[in-house]
Amino acid sequence: MSNRWLSRILPARRPASSDLRASAELMRQVHALGLDLRDGLHGRGVGTAAKRLRRMLGVDGIVLADLDGSVSSHGRKLSADEVQAVLSQVFEYGGCARTRLSDGAELYACPLTVADELSGALLATGDPAEADVEAAASLVSDCLDHAALRRARARIASANLRTLRAQISPHFVHNALAVISALVRTDPDRARHLLSDFADYLRYGFSEKGDYATVADELEAVQTYLELQRARFHDRLDITVRMAPEVLPVAIPFLVVQPIVENAVRHGLERKEGRGHIGVSGFGEGPLCVIEIEDDGVGMHPDLARSLLAGTGPEAQGVGLANVDQRLRAVYGPEYGLVIETGLGEGTKVTVRIPRFMRGVVAQ
Amino acid sequence: MTSVVAIGLLLLISLVIGIYGVRAARSASDFLVASRRVSPNWNALAIAGEYLSAASVLGLAGLLLKNGLGTIWYAVGFTAGYVAVVALVAGPMRRSGAYTVPDFAEYRLGAPRLRKLCGCVVLVIMLLYLVPQFKGAGVVLSLVSGTPYWVGVVLAGLVVSGSIAAGGMRSATYVQAFHYVVKLLFIAVPAVYLIAHAGADTRAEVLHPEWGTHFPDTIPVEFAVDTRFTLDEPVTVTDTSGEEVVLGEGSHTVSEGTEYVFPEGAQVPRPEGLPELGGERWSAPLLSQGGYPLFETWSTLLAITFGCMGLPHVIMRFHTSPTARVARRVAVGVIALLGLFYLFPTVYGLLGRVLTPELVLLQGTDTVAVVLPDHTVSGSLGTFLTALVAAGAFGAFLSTSSGLLLALAGGLSHDLFRSSVPRLRLGVAVGACVAVLLALPAQMTDINVLVVWAFTVAASTFCPLLVLGIWWRRLTLPGAATGLIVGAVTATGAVGWSVLLPTPGGWFDVLLAQPAAWTIPLAFATMIAVSRLASPPEWAEHAVLRLHAP
Repeated sequence: MSNRWLSRILPARRPASSDLRASAELMRQVHALGLDLRDGLHGRGVGTAAKRLRRMLGVDGIVLADLDGSVSSHGRKLSADEVQAVLSQVFEYGGCARTRLSDGAELYACPLTVADELSGALLATGDPAEADVEAAASLVSDCLDHAALRRARARIASANLRTLRAQISPHFVHNALAVISALVRTDPDRARHLLSDFADYLRYGFSEKGDYATVADELEAVQTYLELQRARFHDRLDITVRMAPEVLPVAIPFLVVQPIVENAVRHGLERKEGRGHIGVSGFGEGPLCVIEIEDDGVGMHPDLARSLLAGTGPEAQGVGLANVDQRLRAVYGPEYGLVIETGLGEGTKVTVRIPRFMRGVVAQ
Repeated sequence: MTSVVAIGLLLLISLVIGIYGVRAARSASDFLVASRRVSPNWNALAIAGEYLSAASVLGLAGLLLKNGLGTIWYAVGFTAGYVAVVALVAGPMRRSGAYTVPDFAEYRLGAPRLRKLCGCVVLVIMLLYLVPQFKGAGVVLSLVSGTPYWVGVVLAGLVVSGSIAAGGMRSATYVQAFHYVVKLLFIAVPAVYLIAHAGADTRAEVLHPEWGTHFPDTIPVEFAVDTRFTLDEPVTVTDTSGEEVVLGEGSHTVSEGTEYVFPEGAQVPRPEGLPELGGERWSAPLLSQGGYPLFETWSTLLAITFGCMGLPHVIMRFHTSPTARVARRVAVGVIALLGLFYLFPTVYGLLGRVLTPELVLLQGTDTVAVVLPDHTVSGSLGTFLTALVAAGAFGAFLSTSSGLLLALAGGLSHDLFRSSVPRLRLGVAVGACVAVLLALPAQMTDINVLVVWAFTVAASTFCPLLVLGIWWRRLTLPGAATGLIVGAVTATGAVGWSVLLPTPGGWFDVLLAQPAAWTIPLAFATMIAVSRLASPPEWAEHAVLRLHAP
């Protein structure tokens, strides 16, 4: 930021030759084209991309088409028939094609291939140089390829979430049912409550509703989980929850708080002698929503915490934490990852800090 | 001294509530209670608490004393603003998931650059709104502790940023609700007592103002600034050396630092440009400073009503409601709470005309609510009542400016420079510093002039953006951006000109001082005209639909 400003205000130290400037400008244009096409041929920026391509190539008109026909054009308008005619030619032979329009103007079309598959075409009218249009078409193809990769990355992230949901551990299910069955005779009321809690928990964990929930929903899942764990710990688990009501309706990615709490119980408190305490608190911090999960369990070595977040820790421990961290970063950006404060024998405090509003993040 | 203790106590309680007053659940069964949403009543209390600023507590009474009954329109506007918020934006804003106006702009028009532009406008509005808050706090603090004005302002800046840094706004809902109750009680109790204490004669005089107002007592007046005033009859005053000076009929100029003792029963001189206390212009039910009362009243009313919608810290509060229906119920509650509260500043203003008219000469009318109890009730009861009002006024300052500072710091750290928490603290510090520096030279400017300035800018920028963004699907990015810039520049510029620079006079004066009546339509027209030049992207339809679909 500041460098760019400085370079605008201060005279350049070494006068750049016009060639250098032109190539820098070209790189900027190519980068901007990539941003325009970041959502693919059917995304928001496709109109801007057509405009930019027309300027870069210096032609009368540009049409971007997918397999069904034109999706965006800039400059000279073409009729649907003219576009269809040249498209069928391109798609049939899989190579570039040149035709002459009714008024004598030249039309040159090149196919766009994404991952070796034909997925559209770039049409240029006017007097385009064939090599230029071909270069532009391969550039657009690369951009579309990136867009496809980006979509794939998002799919992987949601697959990760599904994995996490499927990770509701068999141990936990077994333990919960065992505890409930032990209580059936001695305390049937509590057993009934726990059973319905368990049902709620499973429903939340397995729900297919979407990627985001409200903080309030997530808290309820935590509550049912902790209730079950308390029964198993024979009530030697103390719980404190402090929630500022402003943050309850904030949308957060599904299953963010619960895995952290689960981690605190499994790795912090299960190995601790005597009573354990776990605290969950949430409050607003200006435009941010902060959720802190604290336990007074056995803690861990800071290096271990670091490797857990990096995803290089021991398999059994903290798969949940790394997953949560990755998903938070993927949704909100790299600065919003988990923060873990811990030391051996000193308990653990995990802080989630996210913006209250993020475009596209809406609780279902 | 009692007042200082009362303010300190209030501050301490607020901090404790802010940090520890979060609903705590100790057993798992309380968990559900903690995760349940805050009730509409609490929410309404909190919104009213955050909204009632020093402008309402101090400014309104002061302006009423100075400019006359028409000032009550301000209270009407402050309350009616919520009707506009409920009718036009509360529900859809909640559905959009947007937390602030810049969030909404990004949601609706999908451009990070517009977000930055909105962030800049937020900064302007927040600073314009913060300055009068700090002025009010400075005046109250200097009044009750006897320190100079600037010490009070700096202290206020330290107190509010310190309390935010200590986590005093962690549980904003409860702090703000507490502050509403404090404000209402601390303003209402002394007001009711004063009415009872004033006696039948004073009450009659309050309700039936005679032509001109006379000093109720022998009153020493120390002029803090150069003042020009007019007398309708000759008055014999005593100066500091004990010599009698006869001020003849007509216009007089008194230089800074002069002290005159006015005898009991003398007519209160009329400072240049102000309506005569209790006179015809004073009693007229319209705002009349520039000679075009109807236009002035309408313009102010428009500015305040629509400005409320655009105030960033107001809109984000509706987000706490679980459904749009509850959001509307909350707003109705707020209207009732505000209506109740605004009865009392009027009491101070009306009593002030009869009991402390010298404040008009001192250009210190903003202090009338704090000065009045001390002047009229003697002994420790008077001190106690003053302490109550001072603490109430300080509470008003604390709640509003904490909310504003947080919104400003959020805008700085989140919208303008994307970053995380340490910068939020920095934003609070920077915002407080700038507001304090701007408040230092504002001692003689009326609180409400500055507040209406902020409202005018909000009404000319965010109001069109929100209304068109929600109700008109053809709004485009260039349209919104040009409209915002036009609205911000004209509204800020016009009022700025009229406050800071000499004005040409006549109609032009009124148009500059109360520009809302032309800047709001201008901003709307610009947004619509520029938007019509291009067609909106396809996804705009979907974005608008989601604002209205239940």
